[in-house]
Formats: sequence, structure tokens, C-alpha cells
Amino acid sequence: MNWLLPENLADALPQEAAQVERLRRTVLDLFRGRGFELVQPPMLEYLESLLTGAGQDLDLRTFKLADQLSGRTLGVRADMTPQVARIDAHLLNHQGVTRLCYCGSVLHTLPSSLASSREPIQIGAELYGYAGVEADLEILRLLAAALERIELKAYRVDLGHVGLFRALAQAARVTPETEETLFNLLQGKDVPGLEALCADLPAPYGAALLSLSGLYGGAEVIDRARTLLPALPEVTQALDTLASLIAAVPELPLSIDLSDLRGYHYHNGVVFAAYCPGYPAAVALGGRYDGAGRSFGRARPATGFSMDLRELARLVPQVRSQGAVLAPHAGTDRRLAAHIAALREQGEVVVELLPGETACEGPRCDRKLVCLGEQWIIEAINED
Amino acid sequence: MNGITIALSKGRIFDETLPLLAAAGIVPSENPESSRKLIIDTNQEHVRLVIVRASDVPTYVQYGAADLGVAGKDVLIEHGGAGLYQPLDLNIAKCRMMVAVPEGFDYASAVQQGARLKVATKYITTAREHFAAKGVHVDLIKLYGSMELAPLVGLSDAIVDLVSSGATLKANKLVAVEHIMDISSRLVVNQAALKLKRDTLQPIIDAFAGAVEK
Repeated sequence: MNWLLPENLADALPQEAAQVERLRRTVLDLFRGRGFELVQPPMLEYLESLLTGAGQDLDLRTFKLADQLSGRTLGVRADMTPQVARIDAHLLNHQGVTRLCYCGSVLHTLPSSLASSREPIQIGAELYGYAGVEADLEILRLLAAALERIELKAYRVDLGHVGLFRALAQAARVTPETEETLFNLLQGKDVPGLEALCADLPAPYGAALLSLSGLYGGAEVIDRARTLLPALPEVTQALDTLASLIAAVPELPLSIDLSDLRGYHYHNGVVFAAYCPGYPAAVALGGRYDGAGRSFGRARPATGFSMDLRELARLVPQVRSQGAVLAPHAGTDRRLAAHIAALREQGEVVVELLPGETACEGPRCDRKLVCLGEQWIIEAINED
Repeated sequence: MNGITIALSKGRIFDETLPLLAAAGIVPSENPESSRKLIIDTNQEHVRLVIVRASDVPTYVQYGAADLGVAGKDVLIEHGGAGLYQPLDLNIAKCRMMVAVPEGFDYASAVQQGARLKVATKYITTAREHFAAKGVHVDLIKLYGSMELAPLVGLSDAIVDLVSSGATLKANKLVAVEHIMDISSRLVVNQAALKLKRDTLQPIIDAFAGAVEK
């Protein structure tokens, strides 16, 4: 059984690999066209720098090993975002806005769900150095453009704001343990659990935290939130930010969910998640995480998003590429060799048969080169 | 794509969910007790029910095979709740999660002496958390049914099980010695489904909420 792979790891066979690669190129080209520069951080890093500011969940999901050179613990990246934040904060040292993008495999000790790969291919874009809502808007537009460019149909983007929960929990003066419990209950919209816990919290914050669980839906949710939540400066500011985002992109299928706090540990502002039919979780996640660079020596405003190319490759319809051309073995036939080279120059896929080979099991060939008198011509292959 | 699938288990949960479905205007076209069908249509063209084992309901909903489901709190604790919203306590299929021991077994001192206790249960997570919170070491034995038998044949010292009337315990000369928590059924919702099909799901959730007995 030495051909068996560990659980939740898989080979990408030609068709899937071609699809992943097509999407990778499409999305990276889009990023490049908008001024996002590609970076390639290493697979492994000292564990501390991979886990800065992250919650316990990321620690648990990171594969660890001992470095023979330094004796220190290395981690295999489970998320590339902290690596890119490190590059921005410490290496580039730009004073103004930095736009970076990345694509690479990450490893998870535990699959994020039973059916997901432990080696997602993370692709994403991050914008550093701008605290205004315009940066979130640029990222949101970029996300929508990426989903449209790869023809992911009928998607929807849900917006939330971590600042609301933070402000309310702080005002209610809850202990870190209670805050963690509240966070978990809100993530699951566990209203019965919240009712029991919030009853003991000081008014009006207990009731406000409970009401977060019901504050989801269209743009009207923001007005409902203004009446239900206490007018703390942070709350008003967060709702204003969300309102201006929604108003700025009426063409996008946006909705609001104020109890969506995913990534609470490093996010601190607007968060968003994209969903599409046929997939039971979010296909893209993002948001603002100012200050992630602090532990690398420089706190910078930051916002961005990432997606898993493996999941996207399954959701996006396959593009049936043009078939290849089957050519006989050229051998010493210089004219044939030149003809094949010319076709390849034009962008055709030409498979040259080896002596004794009669058919190609590799790429689908729908045409063949045949010799007609003196001329080499392309003839259709009848697929029966 | 806009259809809605609701996962239910046969028996008590199905029976007690019927009035809630009715409040949302949904009437199943068949009774799963008499039909062998696993997918049951309703009077509404876009709503169907799937009949699964109670402990599988959260899994079906988590992976989007069903948009909504009704699952006991006991089952949800064992599942962990990942990927699910559980916005509503339906107040149905109520019972209690209890620790039970054979008549005459001195549970209080067995726990006090800090001895390791052998506990048979179907509810591993619940039992582990309960005894960890008490500071008692336990060896857990996972069983899939008839837990009451385990202490009688020397497989375990105690059991953790759902108790509704207490008749099964009594018939097997067991006594409930500790109340872990009250259990009732919850409405569970797939997270992505609530985002993508809110227009059709929200009215059902609201109708359920309106019909729940407080």
C-alpha cells in the first residue's frame, strides 16, 4: 500500500492541475494589473514569527519540526498572511502604501472540515499603509473582480465588523474567558446560549451583545443596529464604515452579518466572506488587521483577502481547452520538424509520436498532421 | 438550487417537529415510520425532508447536504457545532443528561477518593468535560447503545446517559446520581445556506421561533 497518501492530501491529476494553474494565472494577472506585487515567502519559518498575533487555533493547525541548524522550532506555514505582513513591516520598509500578492501551498495539521485538503493553495492580496475605508473598498472590489474573472457564478459577499464586538465586550468589562465564550456563541448564532450568558452582563451591553446574533441581512441591518446598539463611539464608527462600503458599491451582491467574527484574533475592523452555491463554507475570507506588523517592528494598517485555489478549481466550470495536434515521429525529416516547431510557435500543443507509438493517451488530440503528397496538412481526427 | 432540504431523525424529534413545520406551512407527504423512503416530499414544491440518524443531523447540515436540521443539544455537543448556526431552542424532545450508577454504589465517596472511575457512555465529549470540571479522573468506554447494561456486567462503574422518565434506569436497578444538563432540540442552519438562501430560510426560522412553546 505504498501508493496510499495520508488522509486529506491528494495529487492534482492533469485535468485538475490544469484548472488550478489556469485560475492561478488568471487571478495573479488581475492582481498584477492593479499594482499588487508578487512575493514568495518560504514554506518554513521560525514558529514565533508564523504565529504572531494569531489565536490558539492557528498554533494547533501548524505542523512543527526542529531546525537542525539552530535547534529552534520551525513551523510550516498554515497561513501566508503573517508572512506577507512580516515582509511589509520589516523588509520593504515603505513609508506609503504597499500592495502585495502571493500564491502558494500551506499545510494544516487538521483539515478545516472533513472534506477539505490539508494542503490548500492559498492565493491572496494585501494592502498595507492605509487606514481609510477606501483601502477596504479597493480590496472588496478586487475580491469581486477576481471572482468574476474566474467566472464563479452567483456569489455573495457578507460584511461584518470586529470592532462592534470588541467595543461591546470591553464596555461590559467581561473577563477574557467570558469574551472567548461569547465569541464562540456568536460565531454559531447560539441564541439560547447567549441569552443565558448575557443575562448576567451589565445593561445595556448584555442585551446589545445578544442582539448582534440577529443582526444579519441586507443594508437595512445597519439602521436596525443603530437603534439596537448603544451609541459608543467605536460602534457608531464601525456602522458608518459599513454603511459607506455598502453605498460605494451598489453593484456588488453585499449583505451584512454583525456576528460574523471569524479571525477575531487578528482582525480588528471590517471583515468579509464570499459564498457561492454548491460550497458549504466561505470561498474567500478577508478583512482589516491593523497592527499585525507590530511584532515585526512596525505596526501598519493592513487589509486583504485570500482564497483556496483547490476549492475554487472544483467550483468553477472546467474550460474545455482546444485539442492538441498529433504529429508523426519527425526523426531526420527536417521539413516535418520545422513544421511542428512553427505550429508550436503559434501556440498549438503538438504531441510528436515516438517510433512505434500510434496514439496519444495524454492530452486530448483532435487533429493530426498528415502528409499529402509533398505537403504536411492538419486533418481533423474523428472522435467516435 | 433554491430548494430547501431539512434533515430530521425518525421518532420523537420528527413527531414533535411536525407542529413547528405546520406553523411554517410545511406538511410532509408521508410518514417516515411507515414509509421506507429517506427523502420525503412536502406540500411545498421547494421543500423536502431527509430522514437521517439523530447523530448524523449536524454532519448533513455542516456539509450543506441539508440547509436546516433539528438536532438534540446532546448530539450538537458531541459534534462540536463547527460550520453550524444554532439560533433556536425548539423546546422539544426534552430530557436530562445524567450520571447513573448501580443501586448501592457509593458514588460520592468513589468520586471523593479521587479513584479513577470507569464510565460507559455514548456521549464522550459531554462526559469528559463534566468529569474534568469536577476534577475526577475517568476512563471512558464508548458504547453505541444499552449503556444501562455496562455497570450490571462489570464493564463500568457508572454511565452517562439521557434520562427522560427514568423507567429504564429503574428496571435495571440503576439510580441517577448527578444532573449534568438539561437537553432539548435545537434548530441548526448551514452557515453558507443562511447567506445564500436567506429569503427562503428566514421565514421558516421565524415561523419556528413563533411556534416554540416557551
